[in-house]
Amino acid sequence: MIRLKHIPEILLTLGFSAFLVCPMMGTQIPAQGSAAQSGQTVEPSTASVPTEVTSSKLVEEANKWNGHKIIFIGEAIGEDMVRGEKCWIHLNEDAYMWKNIEEGAKLGGYNSGHAIWVDADLVKKITYYGDYLHEGDIVKVIGTFNSVCREHGGDMDIHADTLEIVRIGHPIEHIINSKRALLGGVLLIVAGILFWVRRIAILRRT
Amino acid sequence: MIVQPRLTDFKIIGLYCGKIIIGLGLLMIVPLIVSLAFGEWNPAIDFLVGIGVCLAIGLFTEAFCQTTRDLTWAHGLLVASFSWILATAIGAIPHWLSGHFGSYIDAMFDIMSGLSTTGLFLLQDLDHISNGLNMWRHLLTYAGGQGIIVIALTFLIRGTAGAYKVYVGEGKDERLLPNVIQTARAIWLISLTYLVIGSISLWAVGMNLGQSPVKAFFHAVWVFMGAWSTGGFAPQSYNILYYHSLMFEVICAVIFILGSFNFALHWAVWTGKKSEIRKNIEIISFFVTMTVAMLITTSGLVKLGVYPNVLSVFRKMFFQVASGHTTTGFSTIYSRTFIVQWGPLAMLGVTLAMAIGASACSTGGGFKGIRMGLIFKSIRQAVRRLISPESAYVVQKWHHITTRILDEPTTYSVMMIVIFYIMTYAVGTIVGVFYGYEPVQALFESVSAGSNTGLSCGVTSPAMPVLMKIVYIIEMWAGRLEFMSLFALGGYIMALFRGR
Repeated sequence: MIRLKHIPEILLTLGFSAFLVCPMMGTQIPAQGSAAQSGQTVEPSTASVPTEVTSSKLVEEANKWNGHKIIFIGEAIGEDMVRGEKCWIHLNEDAYMWKNIEEGAKLGGYNSGHAIWVDADLVKKITYYGDYLHEGDIVKVIGTFNSVCREHGGDMDIHADTLEIVRIGHPIEHIINSKRALLGGVLLIVAGILFWVRRIAILRRT
Repeated sequence: MIVQPRLTDFKIIGLYCGKIIIGLGLLMIVPLIVSLAFGEWNPAIDFLVGIGVCLAIGLFTEAFCQTTRDLTWAHGLLVASFSWILATAIGAIPHWLSGHFGSYIDAMFDIMSGLSTTGLFLLQDLDHISNGLNMWRHLLTYAGGQGIIVIALTFLIRGTAGAYKVYVGEGKDERLLPNVIQTARAIWLISLTYLVIGSISLWAVGMNLGQSPVKAFFHAVWVFMGAWSTGGFAPQSYNILYYHSLMFEVICAVIFILGSFNFALHWAVWTGKKSEIRKNIEIISFFVTMTVAMLITTSGLVKLGVYPNVLSVFRKMFFQVASGHTTTGFSTIYSRTFIVQWGPLAMLGVTLAMAIGASACSTGGGFKGIRMGLIFKSIRQAVRRLISPESAYVVQKWHHITTRILDEPTTYSVMMIVIFYIMTYAVGTIVGVFYGYEPVQALFESVSAGSNTGLSCGVTSPAMPVLMKIVYIIEMWAGRLEFMSLFALGGYIMALFRGR
């Protein structure tokens, strides 16, 4: 019977087998799924001229684009995370990159984007990062796409050489929904009345 | 003979469901405060509306369902199943009002996913939602992990003999302490202690990763809630990939593995029985099945040469498999990566891990480790019987808090629940295949929903057919409540029409 004391041995065996088999790797995985074949055909550039690629293309055809110079444009979201001289930012290239739902954009599915590893100095150009209160800057980066980055534990990312601002973002103006506020107030008054009705019902029962 | 329910039966069910809905409304005060603190006025109004509806419905049912009768087993199971439907329908109000959902069904999908600690979501443009709504998503999953009935038992229901019956109806049957109310409070004590420790750890790491102190704090609390409750929600659409940090991943893994363990085991260790870690059937079962799932997944990844070195194979494989096995649903890869890079074998490894799932009486879902352990023990017992003399009495022992002898009723109930899980996974898979998805993808997603995991290979999306959304909602609900409450509800509805 396998006991708890055997677990380290099992894990060691697992790690050792992976170590043995890894040098034999190299098989390329064919892109599967209908989405891989859909849309415009964009091929990686064989010359040093980078090609503009969408976020979904990079995910669906990750192996094809691996190691290629690409142009990627998207909305900066969240925040920058500076790590020494370098920095992580995230660019969303999706239905909300030019106008998000909080500004009145139509629903267009999930967010979609990529992580960018870039010089911290270049990131200073970014003014706004997208969140509830802001539409982020639209940023264009040129860099190398990694389907599995050796430097970053196998993450899918883009190592950017250049960064430029396509459009500066802005704060989002939210107009207070006064009708809904009134509805909330009425519901709370109703709840207050029901609270007393409930108290009377409990007193009657006891 | 089927007995038709009477007015007093409805009153008992209404009374307790009312209390649980009031609890849900009071829970909305937390995201309301967060919205107000960040000056997010419209989300604050949405929560005000949500609180108003919850209190109005809860107080109304309480006022008109006053009764001195205590709960029977059937009532307990019905309260559990019906209150979850009500909580899903009413809890979806702030979600729906946010404007980030295509339909009310989508909003309900996210609430059921949160409460059942699944982690699949249909919310659109997650990266632009308010802090208040993000707090609500994560609070739902944290509350759902402990159980919304546990919350009600802790704060709103005074000790009754019937309270244990509602508690069991929510898929938990361990009594950490003799009294069920004390048990509910003990569960909260454990969860809140880990909340403080886990959030501080993630906060410190987050700031070190370059996040601002305020953002790092909220991300830490939300990620903790997603991890501990084995929920899998995260504040950004990139999930855990957003943080690009091994340390962050390690802390998350520690939290979700701890969260996936039985509360009775936590309590035993807390009260000094450290040897329980070594002897407990669920711990042994978890390590064995985790190792098997890791081997299958690693084989798939290595065969296809997905990652360039051993470290990245192990890092990606371990996080995804552990996340699947604990039914968390956190991910450090894109959903579609499972299909376009990982391939069918690695996906089957993760699917197996998700199907088995976490421990019983934990925040997780799936078959549960204790059942896997007992199935293994019963097979062993059957083999030993075959090779022993006919007159021999073969005894098979198993250990969970106390050492017990494996008997036939236990084996029967374990097998029955596992079969129900398999049937649930199968129904979801068939519906997925019916709508044109590849069997491996349909199976992956169905198991993810039914085991309350939340890992996705891209099948779940706002564009998914409505029937699939409804099937997944039912899968999440059935998986979380472990079927008995659902059967009780079905039986009750039948009794309404056919009873005398």
